[in-house]
Amino acid sequence: MSAQAAAFNTSFPAGAGTTTYNYTVVRQFAIMTLVWGIVGMLVGVIIAAQLMFPDLTYGIPWLSYGRLRPLHTNAVIFAFGGSALFATSYYVVQRTCHARLFAGPLAAFTFWGWQLVIVGAAITLPLGITTSKEYAELEWPLDVLITLVWVSYAVVFFGTIAKRKTSHIYVANWFFGGFILTVALLHLVNSAAIPATPWKSYSAYAGAQDAMVQWWYGHNAVGFFLTAGFLGMMYYFVPKQADRPVYSYRLSVVHFWALIFTYMWAGPHHLHYTALPDWAQSLGMAFSLILLAPSWGGMINGIMTLSGAWHKLRTDPILKFLIVSLSFYGMSTFEGPMMSIKTVNSLSHYTDWTIGHVHAGALGWVAMITIGSLYFMIPRLFGRSEMYSTKLVTTHFWVATIGVVLYIAAMWIAGVMQGLMWRAVNPDDGTLTYTFVESVKSTYPFYAIRLLGGVMFLGGMLIMAYNTYKTVASGKAVDAPVLQPAPAHA
Amino acid sequence: MSAIGDNSQDCYHCGLPVPAGSSFRAVIGGESRAMCCAGCQAVAQTIAGENLDGYYRSRTAFAPASGDGAEELERLRLYDLDSVQADFVRREGDMREVQLLLEGITCSACVWLNEQHLSRMPGVLLAEVNYTTHRALVRWNATRVRLSEILEAVRAIGYRAFPATAAGAEQARRRENRSALWRVFVAGFGMMQVMMYAVPEYLAGDGTMTPDIERLMRIASFVLTVPVVFYSAGLFFRGALRDLRAHRLGMDVPVALGIAVSFVASVIATFGEGGAVYYDSITMFVFFLLGGRYLEMRARQKAVASLEYLDRALPLGAHRLSAYPASHETEEIPAVALRAGDLVLIKPGEVIPADGVLVSGETETDEALLTGESLPVLKRAGAALVAGAVNRLSPVVMRVERVGEGTRASHIRRLTERAAGQRPPIVEITDRIAGWFIAAVLLIAAGATLYWLQADPGRALWIGVAVLVVTCPCALSLATPTALAVSVGTLARRGVVVTRVHAIEALERVTHVVLDKTGTLTQGRLSLAASALAPGVPAEHALSIAAALERGSEHPIAQAILQAAEHLGVSIRAAAQLRAIPGAGMEGVVDGIRYRLGSRRYVAQIAGVLPATDDAGDGTSAVWLGSEGCWLARFNLRDALRPEAREVVQALRARGKRVLVLSGDEPTAVGALARSLGIDEFEGAMTPEGKQARVRALQEAGAVVAMVGDGVNDAPVLAQAQLSVAMGSGAVVSQAQSDLVLLSGRLGGLLDALAISRRTLRVVRENLWWATLYNVIALPLAVAGYVTPWMAGIGMAGSSLLVVLNALRLIETRERREEGPAGTQRGRTVAAAHPAGAGPAPGPGAL
Amino acid sequence: MDILYLLIPLSVVLVFLIGALFWWSVRSGQFDDLEGPGHRILDDD
Repeated sequence: MSAQAAAFNTSFPAGAGTTTYNYTVVRQFAIMTLVWGIVGMLVGVIIAAQLMFPDLTYGIPWLSYGRLRPLHTNAVIFAFGGSALFATSYYVVQRTCHARLFAGPLAAFTFWGWQLVIVGAAITLPLGITTSKEYAELEWPLDVLITLVWVSYAVVFFGTIAKRKTSHIYVANWFFGGFILTVALLHLVNSAAIPATPWKSYSAYAGAQDAMVQWWYGHNAVGFFLTAGFLGMMYYFVPKQADRPVYSYRLSVVHFWALIFTYMWAGPHHLHYTALPDWAQSLGMAFSLILLAPSWGGMINGIMTLSGAWHKLRTDPILKFLIVSLSFYGMSTFEGPMMSIKTVNSLSHYTDWTIGHVHAGALGWVAMITIGSLYFMIPRLFGRSEMYSTKLVTTHFWVATIGVVLYIAAMWIAGVMQGLMWRAVNPDDGTLTYTFVESVKSTYPFYAIRLLGGVMFLGGMLIMAYNTYKTVASGKAVDAPVLQPAPAHA
Repeated sequence: MSAIGDNSQDCYHCGLPVPAGSSFRAVIGGESRAMCCAGCQAVAQTIAGENLDGYYRSRTAFAPASGDGAEELERLRLYDLDSVQADFVRREGDMREVQLLLEGITCSACVWLNEQHLSRMPGVLLAEVNYTTHRALVRWNATRVRLSEILEAVRAIGYRAFPATAAGAEQARRRENRSALWRVFVAGFGMMQVMMYAVPEYLAGDGTMTPDIERLMRIASFVLTVPVVFYSAGLFFRGALRDLRAHRLGMDVPVALGIAVSFVASVIATFGEGGAVYYDSITMFVFFLLGGRYLEMRARQKAVASLEYLDRALPLGAHRLSAYPASHETEEIPAVALRAGDLVLIKPGEVIPADGVLVSGETETDEALLTGESLPVLKRAGAALVAGAVNRLSPVVMRVERVGEGTRASHIRRLTERAAGQRPPIVEITDRIAGWFIAAVLLIAAGATLYWLQADPGRALWIGVAVLVVTCPCALSLATPTALAVSVGTLARRGVVVTRVHAIEALERVTHVVLDKTGTLTQGRLSLAASALAPGVPAEHALSIAAALERGSEHPIAQAILQAAEHLGVSIRAAAQLRAIPGAGMEGVVDGIRYRLGSRRYVAQIAGVLPATDDAGDGTSAVWLGSEGCWLARFNLRDALRPEAREVVQALRARGKRVLVLSGDEPTAVGALARSLGIDEFEGAMTPEGKQARVRALQEAGAVVAMVGDGVNDAPVLAQAQLSVAMGSGAVVSQAQSDLVLLSGRLGGLLDALAISRRTLRVVRENLWWATLYNVIALPLAVAGYVTPWMAGIGMAGSSLLVVLNALRLIETRERREEGPAGTQRGRTVAAAHPAGAGPAPGPGAL
Repeated sequence: MDILYLLIPLSVVLVFLIGALFWWSVRSGQFDDLEGPGHRILDDD
């Protein structure tokens, strides 16, 4: 703030010009989001290739499919997605609360601690050290570290909310807050285990109950980590980039509470046709269907934010990322409940359709909204008004979108085909029409298309990395001053 | 968005055309923009000067035109007095907090502008504007800034702010709102969670769920239902208790009974020997009921909120003459600080602050709102002045005789309060039926239980419960509030504010409609009805001179003349040596000739003999214009009928309502007007007490009376009538007494309300029929023992849903009935009359 | 299905926690203006 402006604005409290938002930790997480995104997707491309060429890694055990696959999921969900959530939630909570981040050193600890967890995962998983619980493979020492980081995260986030200068808590923060608390609970309950050795532990639950807890966790990890947190992003960055208020703020608040109410209970649909009691499976199905309502409410709310400003979509690639991500969100939240219907599930279960569904959400929704948000934040974090090249952002958008579409379409066709082949029986004698290996063979061309889609998405990330490098190199780290709730336009 | 203000012909600030030859300009965002007047220029310069011109980029509507409110400045200071602030300012040490109503907000950019502008004032700690209600919460440090400065700051950027004096009511409303929301939430959340544990029981086939798990789920359901029953539904239990104490079976009785019986039965089943549980049905039922009531409350509050903009009178101030007659120095004090014996100066245009006696000067006062008298009343020394009347002519000195509780206005208020207590209640249709309904259900349930006790004792209790659950009176208790909520919203869009929901039901049952005259059937202000001219005098010439004499006067006659002149596009000349003679008229010199405008006698003094007229009894009053030796014109003025009055009266009679006119005005004027509308029941010269007594007499003869009025003098009779309708352009006290308020004084709104009342009642009756049909089918089945718990639950939910959907049919498409009676434009035969229409909504005193 | 003896009480506790959270937000006026906050974030820089 210039001296002239400060002199003009006499009501500005003394010293306000010297307080800045803590952008350091935001910058660190933002850059690492990009790095881990590339790493995680690269591993994804490798294992996609392994499905086509099983001998690709010469049988080296550390690089075998079974060990790389959890590395891929952990890297994209927790390293890429997690860093993105840290970066955006720290950014949004500071700006909407008009307060500097609470407990700066603790925030720094969340960054370094989280990176340590990721590095730990990158080492232990290829070594075969795993709890074998999907999306919770890390062994107990890393689980303890995660707990510490997460508690610190909660302290920093809610501490900042507590020292806010506005009376209202913006809806994005409710989503972020809900995500932080729920993930803490999920992690604590699901990771309860009895350590046997430094790198081996046994789950506190046994048998079908372990499965039930695991999928209560697994489902809600998707619901709160990959949905609630990213909806928080959506409710901030879509209005900001469109420069229009969210279509209906009222609806966004209803969206939050409705999601909190219903999401928790849909978990058992992951266990259709297992040892779980029939009624529990049906319950999961019923609540999965109910979930459609809040999900679509949120999607429509996000997309309609652009009503009256659709023209911006033509010229603004960042907005393209954000809006297309919402379309994918709508698509996969429609597909999900459909797949939880038991009759549909009997076809889709264990096929590549599930993989396609997951990636429609992960690439189309999670990655695209993250990319859009990063493109919004990075110039502002490095004192520039926009990215180094808008053209490259547009290129990234098209490469990524085509990549996702190829990926999903391939997996969809492959999945339905697999399902049909597996259930086909000869009418005469009741024997299976196809052997399993025949279905694998038929899937081959679709693996190739999927690999192409994955490579394209990864290529888009590399374009982004170059664009970001040029942006950062020509800018310099800037911490914006903390603004008064009713800010000065001086 | 950027299109706002692109037309360089119009004022960049307010969008009005820039008058030819105007040179007002302001530099906004580096560009010089045209302004229509000095007011807009000053506002735009203030905004640009604070670098707030972002407002012009993001606004989606033009700003309100900026009037010149200099005369208000002095009055704003009154807000700084502690005795005035006591009503609406919250204090905490040096910190002060106030709720301001903002006027002139047209889009979200306005909100932003006000927030920015206020929060930059030194000493202002917080300024937050609610986007929905346009209320600003302002906190400031009393040692650094004064409230009047804050109000002035809002005025400086072209808006107007008024402290929300009804802060207590607002607080109460917010509390009501929050506690209702919380009740709904508890019920809704409870319902969802209970459903979670109830659904598995429905899904589980025989034997797939072990008894211990089932029990666990039931206990969980029980825990979640407890707050719903004891907190959320507490409302119904209290209501039922109240009903029973009053020895009647109201709507809350069957509801409370249904909830209580199913809850107790479920608890016994959970912790006792087993049986069906109804936790899901209970929570869903409570949620639906509360949801309906909540929506109805919100719709009503939203409609009523629009009324608060009317209550924006400045605090009544007074200019006390402390050392009169030695000195004419005045001091500003709030009216509440006046004491009997004080001498006060009352300037033209001001409201008289207390009852008193005129001691010096002569003037005319406008008491239309107090007495219904449409013409100003001459006041000479020794005349009584009534608090609330408006001084129309010249400054006078008054000795205060009665203040506060002693004044005529407070007398009327007490009368009003007493009348409100005597109002005969209207029994709501559902309440009338509920009594029979619940009695029948209770008898049948008891009978069924008794029968089954003989036939199959093990099932007796459960069948009794099933009867009570399945007959749950959803249609009765749920459909009515929903239908009313929808109707309130529809009416609000048509400018009819429903302040008490029973009005919608009552309207259709009204037998007598009593109308006030001045301000209700008429527009409450004079307009030129006809004129007669001396031979050889052009109409424009006469009007032009008359307007010259009256220019700048607030007198009702002056207003009528000026309005006619403006309407005909007559150029007004300049007059000199103007003199107003109270009770007589005006005198002045135009183009060197002395003219008089006023009563026959006054004008005849200089003009000589005036032609005879036969205007007695046509309800007009004549004003003469003459110069030395000759007369020029005679203007007949009349308090013109509202354009839609005739149609409304006819429509009311067509529906079999008896229409009466009760007025405080002169009997002859009242008679002329009533007869012209074809009303043969009328009375004039009535006091507030008289009106009230007359209505009470009608009520004692069995009439259901709707009263339509506008003035302070109507407040008691409004309170007495079963249904009261106030004009939005009238006195605040009468609006506070009314069930319906017709915004912008649109009398046709009454017909809209009547039509909607009919349709609402039809829907309510349909729902009652449906409920009957449902019960006729379900009850025998339940009595015979064929209704399983889940069937009872589904039946209950299904019938609820059906009645709600039926009620929602009342949401109408915009076009339907768009051309209501008030929409028809009248063609007046008298050319000089200005078609003033129903007048704009009370808005910022622009231009 | 013994796990339900953990999960169901846990979820009931959770329900009450969420209820308390909602109670706080109603009381502290979080839902008093459900339009303005949407506009306000646009003006934060």
